[in-house]
Order: sequence, then C-alpha cells, then structure tokens
Amino acid sequence: MHDVHHLYRRAGFGLSPDEWKQRKQWSRQQAIDDLFREAKVAQPLPEGNASGDTEGMMSATAQAERRKEERKRVIQLNADWVMRMGNPQESALLERMSLFWHGHFACEAKFSLLATRQLNTLRKHALGNFRDLLLGIARDPAMIRYLNNQQNRKNAPNENFAREVMELFTVGRGHYTERDVKEAARAFTGWSSDLKGNFVFRRFAHDYGEKTVLGKTGNLTGEDVIDLLLQQEATATFICRKIYRHFVNDTVDEGRIAELAASFRASNYDIGQLMRRLFSSDWFYAAGNVGTRIKSPVELLAGLIRQLGVQRFAENGLIGLQRALGQLLFRPPNVAGWPGGRAWIDNSTLLLRLNLGGAFLRSGELDFTLAPELEQAQKQQLRRLGVELNATPLISLANQPDNLANYTALGTYLLAAPLPPLNATTRRILDGKTTDPVLLITGILTLPEYQLC
Amino acid sequence: MKRRSFLRTSALASTAAFTPLFLQGMSTPPRLRSREGKILIVLQLSGGNDGLNTIIPYGNDIYYQQRPVLGIKPADVLKLNETQGLHPALAPLQKCYDAGELTVINSVGYPNPDRSHFRSMDIWHTGSPATENWSTGWIGRYLDHHCSGKPPYHALEVDDGLSLALKGEQRNGFAMSNAQRLRQAVDNRYLKSLDRGHVTHSDGNLGYLYKTLTQTQDAAGYLFEQSRTHRSQVSYPSNAFGNDLKQIAELITANTATNIYYASLGGFDTHAGQAGRQHRLLQQFAEGVAALVKDLKANRLFDDVLIMTFSEFGRRLQQNGSGGTDHGTANNVLMIGGNLRQKGFYNPAPDLTTLDNGDLIYQIDFRQCYANVIDNWLAGDAQQVLGGRFGGVRVV
Repeated sequence: MHDVHHLYRRAGFGLSPDEWKQRKQWSRQQAIDDLFREAKVAQPLPEGNASGDTEGMMSATAQAERRKEERKRVIQLNADWVMRMGNPQESALLERMSLFWHGHFACEAKFSLLATRQLNTLRKHALGNFRDLLLGIARDPAMIRYLNNQQNRKNAPNENFAREVMELFTVGRGHYTERDVKEAARAFTGWSSDLKGNFVFRRFAHDYGEKTVLGKTGNLTGEDVIDLLLQQEATATFICRKIYRHFVNDTVDEGRIAELAASFRASNYDIGQLMRRLFSSDWFYAAGNVGTRIKSPVELLAGLIRQLGVQRFAENGLIGLQRALGQLLFRPPNVAGWPGGRAWIDNSTLLLRLNLGGAFLRSGELDFTLAPELEQAQKQQLRRLGVELNATPLISLANQPDNLANYTALGTYLLAAPLPPLNATTRRILDGKTTDPVLLITGILTLPEYQLC
Repeated sequence: MKRRSFLRTSALASTAAFTPLFLQGMSTPPRLRSREGKILIVLQLSGGNDGLNTIIPYGNDIYYQQRPVLGIKPADVLKLNETQGLHPALAPLQKCYDAGELTVINSVGYPNPDRSHFRSMDIWHTGSPATENWSTGWIGRYLDHHCSGKPPYHALEVDDGLSLALKGEQRNGFAMSNAQRLRQAVDNRYLKSLDRGHVTHSDGNLGYLYKTLTQTQDAAGYLFEQSRTHRSQVSYPSNAFGNDLKQIAELITANTATNIYYASLGGFDTHAGQAGRQHRLLQQFAEGVAALVKDLKANRLFDDVLIMTFSEFGRRLQQNGSGGTDHGTANNVLMIGGNLRQKGFYNPAPDLTTLDNGDLIYQIDFRQCYANVIDNWLAGDAQQVLGGRFGGVRVV
C-alpha cells in the first residue's frame, strides 16, 4: 500500500484526486513537512457577531428564540468545520488534530460564541504544548459550563471538572483517589466565566486553604493541580495511548506507547514533536496498521467530500448524517467522548454507510430516516442531503481504454484496504462496451473495505 | 500487469461465491427459527413526558395549587383510586387497569438527577449512575451476557437508528423501521453480489464489517418474510407510532425469534402550550397500546408479553409562565401485560410536599425496574447486567 496516501488518511482526511496525482510521488518526509507547514499558517476562526450567554436578562420567549438561533449557529459552525476537513485548501493536519482533541476534551456547546472560542483554543494548541492546551481547556467557558465549574465555589464545591480532568483528560482511572478529586475541586473553585463568554477568576469564591493533591500539600491553585497532573507519568501514557488508538490502531501496542510517552515527557509535552515522531516511525506504515481502522462518521464524510469534490452540502443533510451515523460534533454522547472503533458499527449505521457513496453520487434523497429521536416531519426534512459535487477530477483517474485498469486505478485511489476480487455486478459492468465510471465508483464506495482507512 | 491477472483469476474463482462459516449470521435455516421465552416491549416517551399530568394525583390539593391552569380538573380525571387517575386521553387504557393488566410505579428516578434530555436519556439507556459515563446500554449488556448464539434481532428496535440502550460490548440489537424498507436497502445490486471469499477470520475489523453485513442481509430476508406471515385484524391509529406497534404485533404473531422490541414516541418536551400537545401525544400512545393489547389478546399472546414505558425525566410540579412545564426529575413507569404479579399501583402517589428544588424526589431507582424485568421476565442475571444489586421491585 501507498505510504504517503496512508499518512494523509490518518493525519488528515485523505487526498483529493488532484492532490493524489500531484503527491503520490512524494516521500514520507516531504509529505510530513508539508502537513506541518500548512498547519503553521492556519488562522483562527472568526468569532462572528454572536454574543455570549445573556439569557439571564431575557424573557422566557426571548430565551427560547435565542436558543433556537444559537442552535442554528452551532449547526453552521459544525457544517463549516466538516467542509473544511474535506477542503484541500485547508490544513488537513490541523483539522484532524482539532477533531482528535474535540473527542478528547469532549464538550457539548450550546452557544456559538463559546463553541467557536473552544474550537479556536483546540486549534491554537493542537500541535503546541499540552500544558497550554490543558490550561486553555480548564479556562474555557464552554467546558466550565459543561462540567459545572461555575457552581464550584468555596462553600459548596462541585467536583465535576476536577474528576474529569483526572479521569478523562490526564492520568486516567486508577491514578488518583476520591480524596484527590475532592481536594482538587477546591483548587478549581472560582474558575468561572462571565456572561460575555470570557474566563473569570472569582476571588471570593476561591478556597485559599491548604489542600493535598496527589501527595503534595500546600495552598494549591488550579494551575498547581494541572502541573501536578503533568508530573505524573500516567498522563503522557494516557494521552499517547489515546493518540495511538486514534491515529494508528484500535488495538494498542503498549511497547510503542511507552516509547512515545517517554519522548512526550522528555519534550516537555510538545504535541507537534510527538506527532512528527509518530508519522515518521516505520511501524506507522506497517501492513497491520494500514487500511485496518474503521473510519469515524466524520472522517467518512470528510473523506467523501474530498474524494467526490463536494462543493456544497445542505447543513441539515450533513447534520442529519452525523446524528444517524453516531457522531454529531459539539454534541458528544458525554464527557468521555465517542467510544469509536467497532462501536460505530451496527446494522443500521453500516447499511447507511454502505449506501452513502451512491446517495452522494445521485445527490438525491437517502432512503433512511436519519435521526431516531426526532419527530416525523423533521426526519423527512433531513433525508434531503442537498449535495452538489464535481466528480470530474475523480472520473479523470479512469482515463485508460481498459475497464479493468480503470477499476483498479479507482480502487487503488479510493480504498485503503486491498481491492477485493471482482464480484458479479462489477464484472457485468466491466464487461459492458461503454462503462460509466460512476458505476465503478459506486461499486467501490459500497464495499465494506471503503469503511476502513 | 500482475495485479490485473490476479483480479481476473480471482474473479473466476469467485463465481463459486461461498460465504466463510464465521461470517454466517445463523446456521439455523430461517423457517426453523422461532421464539422461545417471554417478550418485552420497551416504549420510550422522548422529550420528558409530564408524568404528573399522565397519572394525575387529583386527590392532592398541592397539585392544583401548583398547576392552576394546567391541572386536569377532578371531573375530567379517569379515577383509578382515591388519589390518582388517568389523563382523559388515556381512556383506552382504563380497561387494562380494570382488568389488572396495568401497573403504575410512581416516583421512579435516580440519585443526583440530571435535567438535560440528552444526559438523562443516556443514564436511562445505559443504566449508569449519574456520576459515571457508560458506553453500553442495559439491553445491550443483557445481550452480551445472556444471548450468545441468538440472532442479532433477538432485540429489535423499530426505527432506522439503533439506540444506545441496545448496544452492548460484544453484541448489538437490531434496528429496522420497516421490514420492506430494510429489504430494499440490502437489495442494492452491489451489496447483493458482494463476494466474501477473500475475508478470513484474522481480518479483524474487515471481518467484523462483513460479518455485520452478512447478518444484516440474513436478518432483512428473515424479517421481511416474517412481516408478511401474519396480517393484523385489529385497526391501529394511522400514525407512525401506531404503525410501529402494528409491525411489532405482526412479528410477534408470526412467532418471530425476537424477545425484546423497542419503539419510541417523541415530542413530549412541553415547555409551552402543553395542554393540547400532551393530550394529542397521550392519545396516540393510548390508542396505539390499546390496539396492540387487543391484537395480542386476540392471538392469545398477551400473557407472554410485558410492555414497559419510560421517559428520560418527568416535569416540574409547578407550571411555568408559558402554559407548559420545565424539566423535572422522578416520573412514573407503566408496566402493562397479561401476567403481572402486582396489579394496579405498585407504590403510593408521589410526595408533593417534600421536594428537591421544586422537583419530585425519587422513591424507586429505575434500575430496580430493569432488575425486575431482567431477573423475573427475561430469565437473566440483573446483577451482572446492571453491575450492582437493584432488588426490591416485583411487578412481574
């Protein structure tokens, strides 16, 4: 299999047909350098004109209106993000890393300004220093609300954030005690946000007393707790294991993880350096790690957008698909994020996935109702995907006189796993005198192999 | 060149199209598959159904004080005992109550209630404590522990998507909104002619995908045939929920090898204009369930069936300023069936005096209801499935 293509599938969302033509001759190193160069020049997302959370001063009707408006804005932000993932003009690595961190620091955002700010925090530090990222998230208004740190006050501590920062963001279960959670919660008292969506430290709500966290006693602040967590070896191991599962393989290799974690600590938590190391390792390109991971729904959608040259996608269609496939951005199932791997697949999501490429190419309706929890009328609306695409670059890969050669060329480009033997339908299509490449493409996108990357 | 000749050769080989044994859904031929054991039907009322306006505590003045507009007048309540009665839209279910086929469990909830739809639904689906995030559902784990060797549609959700409740670690339930639509989806000519000869046991995720697909295709054929075996003679309300229940009844009557069915009715999030909306929804619910009961009775199957309803939370005791109610906590669970051990009211009406921030305080943990169903209806081990002991409730 092709190293550079594998790299782009994992570090980004695959290559567009034009990128594939240009870059298939590149060396690994060349591609890695280019990915990091693009990520470096990417800009923060504009905040738009949405305000923070000013609901407190509104009537019930105005609040309901406001929420509706904000839901739309968050949907727009979501759709824009997925379109960026599929857009060859954007930094694939940065979008991919932000997606990874969004799954790690899983957070539901209801206000668009807060969602934009959180995403900007993830983008800013996605390849930077993990301490900056962690601190940025601890001070992030969307996360503060999601994990109730606004209610974390000296006289009535709320442990939610303190627990999750240990269990899910840094050391993981088994590396802290209930007492550590309680004491750490005190250190984060007063970390709050104002109505405009800015972080504020409320001095009068902060507990300045003595605390003991992870064996260290003193007048600990939230920053101190974060530094204590970063001193634990378990943090680097926990993060590297998660990175390995996302970028390399569901089935972890603890030896590789220990190597990665040691270098991550040695670099003082430089995420960019860690990712470079990972993408430069020979084992990253080993056969067992290529074409064996199940794409997440968002990866699948972004990949299709890139490969099929999708120019426009109705927001409702894109959101409906995310819901139906089980990964709605800015709305993870809970703070633990999406379980991933085989958990993406059940009979309904698999059938939807296998029929998806064909539905894109027909650009029509999908014969699935997309969101079980919605009411009938909304469901119907969501079936319209509203996809506009330009498949010409993809079709141009099938430029040989021989049908079988074209099929092989398309399959090699579209699939990360080996192209399976021809089946009866494909053979019939290949035997036809004039073969429409779109039929070949549909056949390949319908293969279970296409679900892997 | 090499690759091309490889493709040609394997193309020839694949004419023998065989399916490796490990990919096969079921070794039993479809006509021999039939149900063993009892049936559970879970009905989810999504959006947070207002339990206080479903089973109405008409005997309690506080209810009327807190709901001067939304309170259902005593004259309109279908009284079941001295303190509680049914919402008038639930009239079709009164017969069930009178016949001892409906049990109300009051004040069901869990500690540290969460008022987010999303999160609270998650808690009900997974059966986790409010302080933990689990990624498998209670029915999914039942399948993991007790259903090896059973077909994937042992637990069947009537919808296009599969709810978290039916997702296990190793095994999942099966989702299908309509047997005919499902068959069309697998009838895709590309899927029909997929070759499987190249997939081997060691193919990890690829094997898993092919296996899920093979099982789905097998199930689609089986469920389609089953759905045509028996035509219901009962008239169901003509709405989506009614159709779902009718499909369930037809599959049950055809002796389908499915023991757990799952269906939902949505729209209960009545922050404003509650009276008319909830009335319509409860009517859909009651008419649908009454038709289902009638159908099952006509086929002498009702004794084998238990229907359990739930909603992610109840609603606030006090009505709000927009003719609605806001998110609350504890709620009632209804158990309907021909073989109930405890009939009528399982426990006293909700306490409207001792509240937590204006919300009901739960008396029965929802996992006690699950435990009762798992242990005493589905012949399982609730402690294993729920990860703890939740005894005490004995409705079945």
